[in-house]
Amino acid sequence: MSELETRLLDRGQSAAAAPKTELPSHKWTMLIDLDKCTGCNACVVACHVENNVPIRSEREVIRGHGQHWIRIERYWEGEGDAQRATFLPMLCQQCSNAPCEPVCPVYASVHSERENLNLQVYNRCVGTRFCGNNCPYRARQFNWFAPQFEGPITEMLNPDVTVRSGGVMEKCTFCVQRIRRVEEDALVEGRPLRDGEMVPACAQTCPTSAIVFGDRSDPQSQVAQRLGGQREFQVLEHLGTAPNVYYLKAGGSDGGAG
Amino acid sequence: MTEKISRRDFLRLGAAGAATGVLAGCTSPRRWVVLEPFVRPPEQQVSGVATWFATTCRQCPAGCGVIVRLMNGRAVKLEGNPEHPLNRGKLCARGQAGLQMLYHPDRLSGPLLQSTRGSREFSAIDWNEGINRLFQALAKAGPAVAMLGGATMSDHLFDLFSKLLAAVDAPPPVIYDLYTELGGYRTLAQAMGQVYGRAALPAYRLAEADVVFSFGAEFLGTWTSAVRYGVEYGAFRSQPYGKRGLLVHFEPRQSSTAVTADDYVAIAPGSEGLVAGALLRLIADGNLGLAGRAESARGLAPSLDVEQAARECGIPLEALQRLARRFADAEHAVAIPGGALAGSSNGMHAARAIEALNVVSGNAPAGVNTTPPDLGLARKSLNTFADVQSLIARMRAGEVQMLLIHSTNPAYELPEAAGFLEALAQVPLVVSFGAMVDETAVWSDLILPDRSYLESFGYEVVSPDFGSPVVSSQQPVVTPVFDARTTGDVLLTVARGIPAAAAAMPWDDEVDYLNQMVAGLPEAAYPASTAEEKRARFQQHGGWWPAPAVAAPTLRPQPFTVTAERATFDGNETDYPYFLHVYPSVLLSDGRGASLPLLQGVPDPMTTIAWQSWVELHPATAERLEIRDGDLLRVTSPHGEIVAAAYVTPGIRPDTVAIPAGQGHQDLGRFARDRGSNVVQLLGAALTDEGGGLRWNGVRVALARTGKRIATASLESKVGVTEGLGYE
Repeated sequence: MSELETRLLDRGQSAAAAPKTELPSHKWTMLIDLDKCTGCNACVVACHVENNVPIRSEREVIRGHGQHWIRIERYWEGEGDAQRATFLPMLCQQCSNAPCEPVCPVYASVHSERENLNLQVYNRCVGTRFCGNNCPYRARQFNWFAPQFEGPITEMLNPDVTVRSGGVMEKCTFCVQRIRRVEEDALVEGRPLRDGEMVPACAQTCPTSAIVFGDRSDPQSQVAQRLGGQREFQVLEHLGTAPNVYYLKAGGSDGGAG
Repeated sequence: MTEKISRRDFLRLGAAGAATGVLAGCTSPRRWVVLEPFVRPPEQQVSGVATWFATTCRQCPAGCGVIVRLMNGRAVKLEGNPEHPLNRGKLCARGQAGLQMLYHPDRLSGPLLQSTRGSREFSAIDWNEGINRLFQALAKAGPAVAMLGGATMSDHLFDLFSKLLAAVDAPPPVIYDLYTELGGYRTLAQAMGQVYGRAALPAYRLAEADVVFSFGAEFLGTWTSAVRYGVEYGAFRSQPYGKRGLLVHFEPRQSSTAVTADDYVAIAPGSEGLVAGALLRLIADGNLGLAGRAESARGLAPSLDVEQAARECGIPLEALQRLARRFADAEHAVAIPGGALAGSSNGMHAARAIEALNVVSGNAPAGVNTTPPDLGLARKSLNTFADVQSLIARMRAGEVQMLLIHSTNPAYELPEAAGFLEALAQVPLVVSFGAMVDETAVWSDLILPDRSYLESFGYEVVSPDFGSPVVSSQQPVVTPVFDARTTGDVLLTVARGIPAAAAAMPWDDEVDYLNQMVAGLPEAAYPASTAEEKRARFQQHGGWWPAPAVAAPTLRPQPFTVTAERATFDGNETDYPYFLHVYPSVLLSDGRGASLPLLQGVPDPMTTIAWQSWVELHPATAERLEIRDGDLLRVTSPHGEIVAAAYVTPGIRPDTVAIPAGQGHQDLGRFARDRGSNVVQLLGAALTDEGGGLRWNGVRVALARTGKRIATASLESKVGVTEGLGYE
């Protein structure tokens, strides 16, 4: 049975209704315009809520065990009193040559070719932390303890996303649960995905629209249109990890939609 | 299970089972796979259909529209309402954390009585008894009832409180909280009244601006509506045809707004008005800028010596001249007054001086410069600190028999010098409507917990108003989680027993009230033919707004005078060497966010510290006093003292230390209690020169080491910070 047929059955629809097409492949890409990032942390909180990322206690944060799938890194530039802070939102870069993948002894860190995503299979993970060690972006977060959601806070857990147990590595998934939803909606309606239909939680809430998400294999998509400019760079580009997160340097503009 | 399968076998079997999916898995160092169902986590499956409801965020007074995602009756995610004219589909960190307000484990279930104030020993009573006690006390107190509310109280509740108080001949509610004081809401509105003849919170359109001068306005962090300003800022940076607006920010400390600016100027504390005055003088005397600018500036510029002003502000004269030219030359130049200047001794003068720059550039703020249509809806107006002081004086004089408190936490938010707690001791009955036990509820006799904003009805006339009126609707999105009751219904129940109130408040419940209010609204942006449909659409769309936006007549600036001098600070330079810069935390705001783990546990953008409070100081100060990160410092002002951990940062002037508001709670739930210290304890209760605001930006402090250290809970590198503390 094809993946699509399984999904239609999951939704209570007849597998016979499946369009006779393969699931389309995507090059999911994120573009972060640092000229617009204000360090407001809306993306961080949105991500915590969407992905059931636990908040770690003060003691754990002191130990360096703070857990965020996306975080705002603050750097200082310049000398003396001319020093200015800059912000860099950091999340899993969804590398095409991901250093975290070959080191996993149990295939918990795997690559999906079709979606160009780096996946973490929680129920395979045995917590060796090799992947986290090998990640140059410190994007992987280890659950040193089982998460604690006190009292009715459990009610706000997103049922689309696993609640990871202790001893498991986790990281940004590009909101793969949202990708599933929009893909399936498009399939059932028998149309291709529209640009801008798939929005991860961070991009959806970003007040300045600094985060843009899309499929760069679609030349008309906003990300594809904005790639290749003078301001574009990737973090630790020289390592050859080929990330799917692109940044645009602050201090310039691509011009607006008009 | 009959046979034992080792993990390796299991994996082998798994690989065989997924044979169709594994592509060249054995040979490539990269393993390209398509996940098959047996390892398909919930992320890979679609588990039912979500429902969405529109309502209004109440984490700050702005009134952003939110849509709530519900799965099986549980609220699981908040998003911005894309239709809402204020926030246009976006939300800030505090807005995103709203669900924890709803599902907080320390919310109260049912009314509580406290026999000894401050004992924290509460006894549960049922709602009938609670409401009955409120009614009895209200009937007995008559006109000697007072009400203190916060700016996040929804407008419908304000209306009900006002009507109830009017019916018993009591004075109207006093609306005051620290958040709006730190944002300078009331002072800035008063200044707008002097400049444009309409006292309203100014709203500045940035999307098409060439140059924006921000005078300490943290409009990308907390000021008035950080979400809307974020939307404006995003558009401002990428305007059509590659145009990019330029932001200049003046502040003694690098806030996240300062960091985002192209040109950050670290001005001396309290000199915002002086900078604006000097810019006006330079434009006037230098005949700078586009036609008419210099002439207009000549009519407004204060008489001052520019060289001396530049020295006092801490800006080189050449830099000031360059900035004056830049502002005058820009076709669309905007100046934004911030909250800190409004809390300075010369707050109103400074706000007028900055608004004079907008008069010169011909860009009056939206919302102030127009006359909105009368919507027939009651809306809150904020009171000044002077009004709070006269309420405290009445309490102290024994003229208040009963005090009602909703959406504000004066025991935490007011400086000790205001004497609130002493005066409270003279009030025979204090009723709190808090959803949790906060510092004020601890000093009350009766707690009638209100529902969270995601469980109650209401409306909010959106402020700041960006040129076109918006009424945001609030509706319950889940069945109530705790046995709390909406204050609106409690008030309507009580009113039935008081004849004058019953006549003034003839509604069955707050839904009835709300329906009648909505019925009177003019035509909205969406079609609605019947009254029934109008009510339904109001809630479905998340509010009322006209389409196209109402173009109201433009008001002209009135004649006003600009004076420019530096603000004064309490404490002399020898005993108190540093200026104290207080700012609302991006996450905890004025302290109301401290109860939520989502806001406590997310690092502050500038210091990357979570869960703690800190004193920001310059490396030169740290070197002189031999202070390292994490050293606990005793910070002393002429009004009080607190202990807080040092955070050494280049992002502050050497003569200034900065402390965020928000921590130092004794109550407000398990996540807020006993963390850090409350900076308000360093403040006096003096008023600003004009307008009756609290002069919170006007204190000098001294620093001393206590000899103790704590480990800093920061995201950034901790090398050398946690040594010797047992945390390595």
